[in-house]
Amino acid sequence: MSALVATRAPLGRQLRSELRWILRRPRTVIGLASLCLVPILAGIGLWFAVDGEGPAGPGLAAIISGNGLVLPVFTLFLALPLLLPLVGAIWAADGLAGEAQHGTLRGLMISPVGRIRLLGIKAFGVATMTLFAVTLIAFVGAITGVVLFGGEGMLTLSGSTLSFGAALGRIVLTILLVTVQVWGVAAVALAISACTEHPLVVMAATMAGVIVFAVLGVFSALDWLHPYLITSAWEGLVDVMRDPLPTEGLWRSTALAACYIVIGMSLAAMRLATKDN
Amino acid sequence: MNRRRVTVVAAAVGVVAGATGLGLLAMPAGAGPAPVLPDVSAEALVESVLNAKPAAFGGTVDVDNDLGIPAIGGVPQLSDGASNLRIWTDGAGKLRVQLPSGDSERTFVDDGQTAWMWDSAEQTVTKMPHGSFEHGEPDLSGEPKAAPTDPVTLSRQVVAAIQEYSDVTVDGTARVANRPVYELVLTPKPTEKTVLREVRVAVDAELRVPLRVAVLTNGTDAPAAQVGFSELNVGPQDASLFAFTPPAGAKVTEPEVEKPSAEDKAAAEQAFTEANPQVIGEGWDVVLAARVPQDALTGLADLQQQGQREGRWQEHGQGEDVDVQGLIKQLGKQVSGAWGSGTLITTRVGGVLIADDGRVAAGAVPEQVLVDAIGQVK
Amino acid sequence: MTSSTSARVEPVTTTGSTPVLAARTRGLRKVYGRTVAVDRVDLDVPRGAVLGMLGPNGSGKTTTIRMLLGLVRPTEGEVELLGKALPDGVAEALPHVGALVEGPGFHPFLSGRENLRRAAAFEPLLATGDIRQAVEDALERVGLAAAAHRRYRGYSLGMKQRLGLAAALLVKRKLIVLDEPTNGLDPAGTREVRKVIADLHEAGSTVVVSSHLLSEIEAICTHVAVLHRGTVVAQGELAELLHADSSSLLVVTPDVDDALNALRAGRISARPIEEGVRVELIGTTAPAVLETLVRAGVAVHEARRHRTGLEDLFARLTEAEESEHNLSAVDTIEEGAR
Repeated sequence: MSALVATRAPLGRQLRSELRWILRRPRTVIGLASLCLVPILAGIGLWFAVDGEGPAGPGLAAIISGNGLVLPVFTLFLALPLLLPLVGAIWAADGLAGEAQHGTLRGLMISPVGRIRLLGIKAFGVATMTLFAVTLIAFVGAITGVVLFGGEGMLTLSGSTLSFGAALGRIVLTILLVTVQVWGVAAVALAISACTEHPLVVMAATMAGVIVFAVLGVFSALDWLHPYLITSAWEGLVDVMRDPLPTEGLWRSTALAACYIVIGMSLAAMRLATKDN
Repeated sequence: MNRRRVTVVAAAVGVVAGATGLGLLAMPAGAGPAPVLPDVSAEALVESVLNAKPAAFGGTVDVDNDLGIPAIGGVPQLSDGASNLRIWTDGAGKLRVQLPSGDSERTFVDDGQTAWMWDSAEQTVTKMPHGSFEHGEPDLSGEPKAAPTDPVTLSRQVVAAIQEYSDVTVDGTARVANRPVYELVLTPKPTEKTVLREVRVAVDAELRVPLRVAVLTNGTDAPAAQVGFSELNVGPQDASLFAFTPPAGAKVTEPEVEKPSAEDKAAAEQAFTEANPQVIGEGWDVVLAARVPQDALTGLADLQQQGQREGRWQEHGQGEDVDVQGLIKQLGKQVSGAWGSGTLITTRVGGVLIADDGRVAAGAVPEQVLVDAIGQVK
Repeated sequence: MTSSTSARVEPVTTTGSTPVLAARTRGLRKVYGRTVAVDRVDLDVPRGAVLGMLGPNGSGKTTTIRMLLGLVRPTEGEVELLGKALPDGVAEALPHVGALVEGPGFHPFLSGRENLRRAAAFEPLLATGDIRQAVEDALERVGLAAAAHRRYRGYSLGMKQRLGLAAALLVKRKLIVLDEPTNGLDPAGTREVRKVIADLHEAGSTVVVSSHLLSEIEAICTHVAVLHRGTVVAQGELAELLHADSSSLLVVTPDVDDALNALRAGRISARPIEEGVRVELIGTTAPAVLETLVRAGVAVHEARRHRTGLEDLFARLTEAEESEHNLSAVDTIEEGAR
């Protein structure tokens, strides 16, 4: 028998194939389309609110008037507590549990794809799609905001007005910060996804986790627990709209999400490495 | 087999690393090893603090408040819990203070000629003459000693006033905002009746300015209140920080401070002059006493309203009439004696006694000292 | 009866020569919780053979195949695939192995062609530029070219099965493992699959086919391994196993005496049985026996070969299964693992 040499399919081809597969899924297309609606609906809602007396609402909504570039940031923070974790969970659920359900995970492993590499490909798919979804919301939000509210710069919560370039910088920063937070949730969802063959279980468990975390964050009696909860870092992300930019809290919440990513991916790797298919 | 085991071990290490990271993040910023600094006597340290020149700096002040004071309108830095404020000064009268709260912010900028106050939640700008913040607004919290504003000013007052009634010692060194500090400890002399156990002031070894003040009360290890820099950059600050241009959509108001009016700030100031404030006792046992006219308390009521709006956004102008007396009664307990009757609000660092006829006494002292003091109010 | 089948039968192993093995297992054992799914499986798949894994549902065929492909870790025992020990040799061996395990697995929202493209993207031996052609070739080979643009969701069971086969044929394989490949196929489809297997065999590939149908195995295999209750009860070359017992012919006839006389005259050994005569096929063939009988004017109502060892064994296994009709523990596990 001739000596066999270990061979692997090119990684780039595998990653492309993964993205192509995600984007071909009707659910993905519908999901992305509905995400585009979020900034549009939020913008229209605020537009009517601005017409009335006083500020359009609490927090960021108060400075939206004549300040359209705040809308992408406002929408991302609006979507972060529930919508974006759900989106991340869906992709994570389809990535492993969904493939197992259709029997395609087995096919990939026979190809063969190493299990850790497979996890890497899946994580890449989820991460890329999350970044894409967040960017899409911000993009649609920026367009909607400028159309509805106008504004060439960005008024910060601190009362200073940023130039257009600096405003774009803040939007990009928000995109990155929010994306990393969703990655934290999605990594844990991927770990759950590695343990089951039912995508719905993954989505339900992830969303239940996010909601429970949010509820735990409300009780001040549990404030010793709050620094560990990824959800507790989300409110502080509004720091991105202060001037000068306070970086400490932002670093901290990003590091917190990074810990969740490390834990989630490690658990997923552990499960995949020992899993029977 | 081996590869699998390696993966599992690596993954386990990953989980542990992630969990450790969470733990590290949750822990308060590590103090690090105490720096080695030349010995300094307590007296010399106090002296150098009192003579320190104001420096230009920018930083973040963390406020940990466990005083047991009920929530005070709209400024979380005064309420129980942890919060922070950001402060910049050029050391020569220009000042910028930002009070973030939730997803809104108040910004105070004093550019040397004009002082501005911006409130993002209301989209309003208040324009005032230069120096308005230096002397401060009338403090309505009833806890002037504990109200954290600028630690530099605060500590100087504390050190200077209390020195003769206290044992002053230097308790080693530490790090605050990553700068080496001496820990100056002020302990009330045994004869003092105060409820405070000690006040710890961290003095910057180089600049000789207080970077952190902690108030400790009898019976607990955790400070009842601590105000300190978590981040401090000493040196000239960006000049643009001390400039403020009211944003396009904001409503700019210019309150006239001199003229007495029903507006909260002015009314409260007027009330203070009318109240005949007096200091009773000395040292740690000092009690601040006054007679407060009823309408001065509406200022407090407005602040309370604002506080509600911070928590849950409400329609404008709702709940104009707040029963201030009723509110006070809810917060404290009813007491009476030869001096009359009133409400006693106690916190971990002292108490406020508000008599029904408007007399007020406040201090970092036990109930009996307050009662004695209110009897002396004319 | 039940107890006798469950009793361990020593594997009937026939090894003519010692061929190079495409796959080999030794002492394979898989335990799920407290249930033993596969136990002491020593399987030899000679290179170039078409090995049929025969056994009733739940006999451990699929579990064995999954361990053979490195999908499942054996509790005990070792697997050698194309000369590489698993699981470390997976990266070396598996690219040369095509497989269709536990039914075809594809995404319902993608077309047949897109599904194959995705599978092809992960095939190490396919150069990126060759993927398009390899996919078209594989579709052509299983007769799906016309339906390739349709969504997998709309495929019939047979089409799904053929797409699964196509995925296994994307690359020229050294070993192809097909788990119940004719499941759900109509007779024409079954014939096509048999043709594909015959072509693979001709081209020198080794094929492992599992089936619970004896006829299927008989039609396409050169070698056979019989599994029952998680263990191999017989394996070897099909022909050898079929003739492991001296073969005999049962002739049903009312004219027993005439028949015996005619056969003895023709020097064919025979003895009377209840319904007719039993003829030992030593030095003669079934057609010769029948010709002799017909010439002698014996009325032959029926003539059938007596069951050989393999058939006997298999019949005993399957009949036992049918008579019990309750799912064995192994069955339950395989359902659960799906």
